[in-house]
Amino acid sequence: MSWTSNPQHHPLGLILKLSPLMLPFGVLFCGGVFLTVCQSLGIFTPLPHAGGILDAYAAILSDPSFFASFGFSLGVALVSAAGSVAAGTFLAYRVWKLPKTLAGAALVYKIPLILPHIAVAFVVLVFWSRSGILASLAFHLGLIQSMQDFPNVLYSGWGVGMVLAYTLKGTPFAMLLILALLVRFDIRQIQTAAMLGASRSRIFFAIVLPRLAPALHTSFIILFLYSFGAFDIPYILSESRPGMLSLHVFDLYFRHDLARRPEAMAILTVMFCFAVLFIIAYAKTVTRLENGVRKL
Amino acid sequence: MTLRWNLIPLLAILVLPFFHLFALPARASSTLLDTPFEQIREQARGTRVQWYMYGGWAHVNAWVDTWVAREMKQRYDIEVKRVPMDAGVFVNKLLNEKAAGKSTGTIDLLWINGENFKNAKQAGLLFGPFAGHLPNVQQYVDPDSITHDFGFPVEGFEAPYGRAQFVFEYDTARMDTPPQTVAALKQWIMDHPGRFTYPQPPDFTGSAFIRHILYAVTGGHEQYMAGWDPDLYEKNAPLLWDWLNQVQPFLWQKGRTYPRDSALLDTLFARGEVDLGMSYHPPHAQNMIIEGSYPDTVRTFVLTDGSIFNTHFTAIPFNAPNKAGAMVLADFLVSVDAQVSKFKPENWGDFTVLDLERLNPSDRQRFEAVELGPATLTPDQLAKTAVPEIPAPYLEALERDWKTHVLDK
Repeated sequence: MSWTSNPQHHPLGLILKLSPLMLPFGVLFCGGVFLTVCQSLGIFTPLPHAGGILDAYAAILSDPSFFASFGFSLGVALVSAAGSVAAGTFLAYRVWKLPKTLAGAALVYKIPLILPHIAVAFVVLVFWSRSGILASLAFHLGLIQSMQDFPNVLYSGWGVGMVLAYTLKGTPFAMLLILALLVRFDIRQIQTAAMLGASRSRIFFAIVLPRLAPALHTSFIILFLYSFGAFDIPYILSESRPGMLSLHVFDLYFRHDLARRPEAMAILTVMFCFAVLFIIAYAKTVTRLENGVRKL
Repeated sequence: MTLRWNLIPLLAILVLPFFHLFALPARASSTLLDTPFEQIREQARGTRVQWYMYGGWAHVNAWVDTWVAREMKQRYDIEVKRVPMDAGVFVNKLLNEKAAGKSTGTIDLLWINGENFKNAKQAGLLFGPFAGHLPNVQQYVDPDSITHDFGFPVEGFEAPYGRAQFVFEYDTARMDTPPQTVAALKQWIMDHPGRFTYPQPPDFTGSAFIRHILYAVTGGHEQYMAGWDPDLYEKNAPLLWDWLNQVQPFLWQKGRTYPRDSALLDTLFARGEVDLGMSYHPPHAQNMIIEGSYPDTVRTFVLTDGSIFNTHFTAIPFNAPNKAGAMVLADFLVSVDAQVSKFKPENWGDFTVLDLERLNPSDRQRFEAVELGPATLTPDQLAKTAVPEIPAPYLEALERDWKTHVLDK
């Protein structure tokens, strides 16, 4: 407890110093979560809540389509985050190995990073729909007999359109984080390994990849949780069934009766808890795996 | 210990913003409603009115930004600023403002009706009753025509603005005669797999479409007019779900997915992916032709089982900073000049809320002289099949249960 008596490290002073960060976080973020949880329980709702405190949770958890949407959102998020990180790692490694003269040109990878998600959704729509650019290209090249023969990518029932859009948006993000680590990477380690006769793939998997692990984990978690909960890309590209959870929340919040506000908030609360649990579980797993590696 | 004690101010900060929820409800500024309207006009001179309205129709936006804004400036020296926002979104914005105890908001006038009006009025978000105070409403509008909005009592908390009726659209170049009844529509859908769909409720248009089917398969609208009857709903709704489920495999994309909103359905219709369009606005097809989105061979039709009409309104939020200006604008929108201008298809084509019997012959002549265009049905043709909207509780139940009984089935 000695640090509390030290005026320089007094916790009140510490909190005051942190207040520019803590105040917005506390009021806006925690306030938002607090209000969301309250409304999911039927407290502070715009209309007086008639039922019991857990009614909204009972309503969403008794609806099989909620679990279908939850699973589907998880699947889309998992595939697109894993795809983005894999593609981002591969491309970042290639860009890093490019000669200096080409490195400038490789900066084009940042373009999808600047585009808003909604724009990327439209890009996917314009390219991949059956009346879109790729269909028309394939038709003119004689690859398909009519535009309708083009694979039904956007309405396949598997969320392929959303995965494409998220991967397009997520890959450069992963590249950015990975390249930031790679520039500080000591190239002599690779040269040494090569001199000792390591193959290219061995160098990549045994030397480069472990160094990149922090960036891989961070980008995976961010991309995964973002695409799990985000709304803009699904709004353009999602199908009705199984719908993404975020769209279900949007409909409940904006388009249905106000009396259903607790249900919308209950879904948001469940999603938030899932995100927190996921981060904890992911971090624990990673630590355990890394400890295992070190023991070897 | 010290650390724990220091968390208390932090917790207080977290909880503090919610205390105003217990504050007293805002009082209506009744003085404005006792002021003669001439004086309200004087008071509003030189002010600005922020009008929040649905922004998805380019031609309507253009009409408000040019004609309405110009006339309001010239006649009353009021600047009209249009802010595009969906009704569900501004109702939520007002809810948050009310919860935050914000007594001076940013919205002066709303374009609203139906369940959004019901939600807003129930939550005490509206100022009023002001509609009866507007001279043009007193003079030209039949009071019986504006007592209810989707079965919910209006009580003067919104002023009439326009009338809409549900129509279907087809392209004469692709189809000779469209189906005339709900039964014929079903047969047509099954005979033409993949060529029909409807926007997914709770979309406004898709939700109206399924209400037509409900009326048709359960024996008409009259039984619902008395207000919410859960037993009637439980008895009748399954007939609607049966109808929709029977056609589902024959819909666009085999009914696995539905267009999220009517704009997407318009695109599918324009691109020829489906053969029938639909709109809650009789001049919609004509507007799309003028805009160049639809070929000029597109025509509209109604099903003889009935086509639903409604009135849309303007309302003033409880915390509108410029209530006087909002009242002047709401009144101007019900004037003969504004209603005629709005009725012209090149401007909008929205039907009037005025009772033509109450107009003098020359004003009536101005409405009759408007050329609606070949794609729009005349008011007489529409009036023959017009049936009223269902009370809002049915609408909400249908929108809720559509997901369970049709989409997720």
